Amino acid sequence: MPQTRSTAAQRELAVHRHLMRFGDSETLATPMWEQRGTTVAVIETQLGRLWGAAESATTDDASRLRETGLPSARTSVLNLIVTVVDSATADRVVHAMMSLGIHHPSRAIVLVADHLATGDALDARISTHCHVVPTSPDERICYEEVVLTVRGEAAEHLSGVVAPILIHDLPTSVWWPGDPPFRSPVFDQLIDVSDRLIVDSSDFGDLLAGMRRLTTLRELLGIGDLAWQRLSGWQERIAQFFDAPRFRRYLPNLNRMVIRYAAPTGHGRKRRRSDTDAVAPDVAAPMAEAILLAGWIASRLDWRRHRTVTPLADGGFRLELEGHYEMVDLRIEPEHTDELVPGELTSVRLRARGETGAAEFIIDRNRDEATVATNSDGMTALLRQITMETPREAELLSAQLGGRHRDPVYDAALHAAVVFLAAARSAEAAGPEPIVAPAAVQELGG
Amino acid sequence: MAHATPITLPPVLPEPATVAPGDGARHLANPLREGLRLERIPEPCTMIICGATGDLTQRKLGPALYNLMLGGFLPPEFTVVGFARRDLSDDDFRDHLRNGIDAYSRNRPAKRSIWESFSGGIHYHRGEFHDPASYEAMAKLLDRIDRDRGTAGNRLFYLAVPPVLYPEIVKQLGAAGLSADGERRVDGKRGWVRVIVEKPFGYDLASARKLNREIRESFGEDQIYRIDHYLGKETVQNLAVFRFGNGLFEPIWNRRYIDSVQITVAETVGVEGRGEFYDQTGALRDIVQNHALQLMSMFAMEPPVEFAASDLRDEKLKVLRAVHPMALADVARNTIRGQYVSGWVEGQKMRSYRDEPEVDPESLTETYVAIKLAIDSWRWAGVPFYLRTGKGMPTRVTEIAVQFRRAPLALFARTGASQIDPNILAIRIQPDEGILLRFGAKVPGQGLQIRSVNMDFRYGSSFAVDSPDAYETLLLDAMIGDPSLFTRDDEVERAWEILDPILRAWHEDQGGPLHFYAAGSWGPPAADDMLERDRRAWRRP
Repeated sequence: MPQTRSTAAQRELAVHRHLMRFGDSETLATPMWEQRGTTVAVIETQLGRLWGAAESATTDDASRLRETGLPSARTSVLNLIVTVVDSATADRVVHAMMSLGIHHPSRAIVLVADHLATGDALDARISTHCHVVPTSPDERICYEEVVLTVRGEAAEHLSGVVAPILIHDLPTSVWWPGDPPFRSPVFDQLIDVSDRLIVDSSDFGDLLAGMRRLTTLRELLGIGDLAWQRLSGWQERIAQFFDAPRFRRYLPNLNRMVIRYAAPTGHGRKRRRSDTDAVAPDVAAPMAEAILLAGWIASRLDWRRHRTVTPLADGGFRLELEGHYEMVDLRIEPEHTDELVPGELTSVRLRARGETGAAEFIIDRNRDEATVATNSDGMTALLRQITMETPREAELLSAQLGGRHRDPVYDAALHAAVVFLAAARSAEAAGPEPIVAPAAVQELGG
Repeated sequence: MAHATPITLPPVLPEPATVAPGDGARHLANPLREGLRLERIPEPCTMIICGATGDLTQRKLGPALYNLMLGGFLPPEFTVVGFARRDLSDDDFRDHLRNGIDAYSRNRPAKRSIWESFSGGIHYHRGEFHDPASYEAMAKLLDRIDRDRGTAGNRLFYLAVPPVLYPEIVKQLGAAGLSADGERRVDGKRGWVRVIVEKPFGYDLASARKLNREIRESFGEDQIYRIDHYLGKETVQNLAVFRFGNGLFEPIWNRRYIDSVQITVAETVGVEGRGEFYDQTGALRDIVQNHALQLMSMFAMEPPVEFAASDLRDEKLKVLRAVHPMALADVARNTIRGQYVSGWVEGQKMRSYRDEPEVDPESLTETYVAIKLAIDSWRWAGVPFYLRTGKGMPTRVTEIAVQFRRAPLALFARTGASQIDPNILAIRIQPDEGILLRFGAKVPGQGLQIRSVNMDFRYGSSFAVDSPDAYETLLLDAMIGDPSLFTRDDEVERAWEILDPILRAWHEDQGGPLHFYAAGSWGPPAADDMLERDRRAWRRP
């Protein structure tokens, strides 16, 4: 063990101490190990004797742990690699995982890669965390966290650094917060050692290019998208409208869908994700969630083709689609508000033609609450207030880690979203007049 | 507008999928549900709890419904009607449920916003169970709820009352026209009607048959959901995944590799205020007839053709049919019954069973039972199944332990390691749900010493996911119309056929004596002797 700890390590320890308090949910299970200018072989050895060390060490951390009972055997579920651009982001990742008790990974490797930096090629910090399972206090979930800083040329060969320290034979996910460098060789290397890529499409610098890349990457590995996960509450609520048979018959007759998403007002305090502990605080592509939701409904309901695109003010647009029996008027529009993080949906309104009139299905969100309403053909109008909280990033991540490897529903929604976006782009280029979208982007589904 | 080229229309769309009543589990009628976390959502319905002021409602049903609501598993139209004798208002009943949630729910206390939308759909109906007028009034109330809340005539009755009341309630429901569902209904409505019946299903074969007959006078078998909450537990469902989702285990799941199987359902507690009920029931009826035999049939069944209700229950029934009921003369050799006397459990002094309130001071009721059963099938011939259950045991545990055959040759005998312990696979149902595998390993160092080590998989430490309570799973299944995890009439009757000779032998005093054991011990020594005769020993889980 080194005599002195780096500032980052001390910060991490401070977080632990703060969260830990004896018997609380968070415990640092083994003494933190840290070495600068180390090698992969040393890290491997250290990881190999990690849990043994916990039982024999005499430090405070370890003896406390012996009192509370360390698991003598562990069940491993998956590896998680997190790539970040700098050590400040690495701290945020570590903090997010610790404060929320990330559920799934058995070994998390946080990679800080800087190929321009000089100095020691490799610094490593290893700590182990055990969480008490709230529902059964005797159970502990443990994971190991390895924070690696890779500099210089080594940073261009990350898979060689990472591969030896993964737990063998376990599925490996790579989480790339922010805008992933889709074209860089390092990205490809890490994709090669992973089974699943987790991104947040609302962080993409170029939403269309990023989503297009995802549609090809999904041939290679599973894709998790935090923007998609953020929609799950909306999807449940929208699906719920049509669970009752009396409303389900409206589904084929939908003829209008308006999706609004939060965009900053420009004055007033802009809500950043950091308000909710996120690793990437700013939202680069606020339209991502809205367009994925539109893609989801369009692909689920087999809306196959669209005709015209009209750009709307502020980057929104209007598309005409062919639904089952009706033409569908789809609008995606920003709504200026500082109440919500940019990109979050503010409302979804669906309208269908009924036998005697129109039916409307409405979800309007206002901070942590939403109004859900149904009006149809003179039948009972249902109006309810529900809670709709923004899930925290670690919860989104956890859900995406635990999700199914290939998600055909997401794939289809993504495909449709790309078609819509491409159409919207071409409309932007052509000016305010409605245009007929080029034939190549008309096919949906897939 | 730019020049529009003609576009070919897609082929004619398929008709929207229709759902057969009672088969909601496997069909997705709502295309938006595909791939969502909640693929199965029940249709809007009303759940009527008969015996709504009792313990079960407060401890289990209320919290289960609340958690389902919290998880978004129930449609907003979902409505609860409490039906009981006590004079309560709607608000009183809501308070009763809410107190139960605050005290017993796995998510507690109740969240205000969720509770407010949930409680709006909670009603109370006061009435006598034997009075036709209360059912007529209830029918009117349910019709009004259908109209106001859009529950479309779908009704789930839950009999949370002592079993003596089952026949009366189902008869009255039938007479009031409340049991007819679908096209059988005279009022022209097409909703489904189901009834959930709590165990015990009878107290012997004759009474179980009678009860089944009585319920079927009002309800069809496809409407009857006999609840055995053990089947709702995650680990029990995982038993099927463990066997049929892994290529490794099924090939060795037979008499060639398995030496014997032990099923243990141990409780530390005594009768806990249920003295009167328990003294008439005993361990064999209370645990073996349902939980233990269900566990055994899930463990031993052949792979079903499809993982669907009828196939699953057919396979379970086949296991029970392959268990031959004992001849009266064999009961003494293959069963041990015991009753606890005072002792120490978990550091607490526990009084004798006969000193419990409402228990006959000369009671001969068994609080412990150990049985050796044989399944006469190609797969299991010659493999004994040892079932035991008891109160006042040293620990609370439910597990199935498989003992494999020993290695055929004592290869290491010369080197000091004599007989190697057999491999054990233990499937723990509760607490600490998980799977443990024991095998021999060399002790490091010179020489060849072999010691058994455990490889331990725990659900809790692998998936930090809060498992739903068994009642949540089962209530949702019943609302969706998936009876896989409920017991069918023929299963219940077959289980009684297996146990009837034992009950009769005990009753006629031919089944061996009642042994006494100290609370806090693993049952009477006679139970150990029973296994020792077979050169085996009970596990100490």
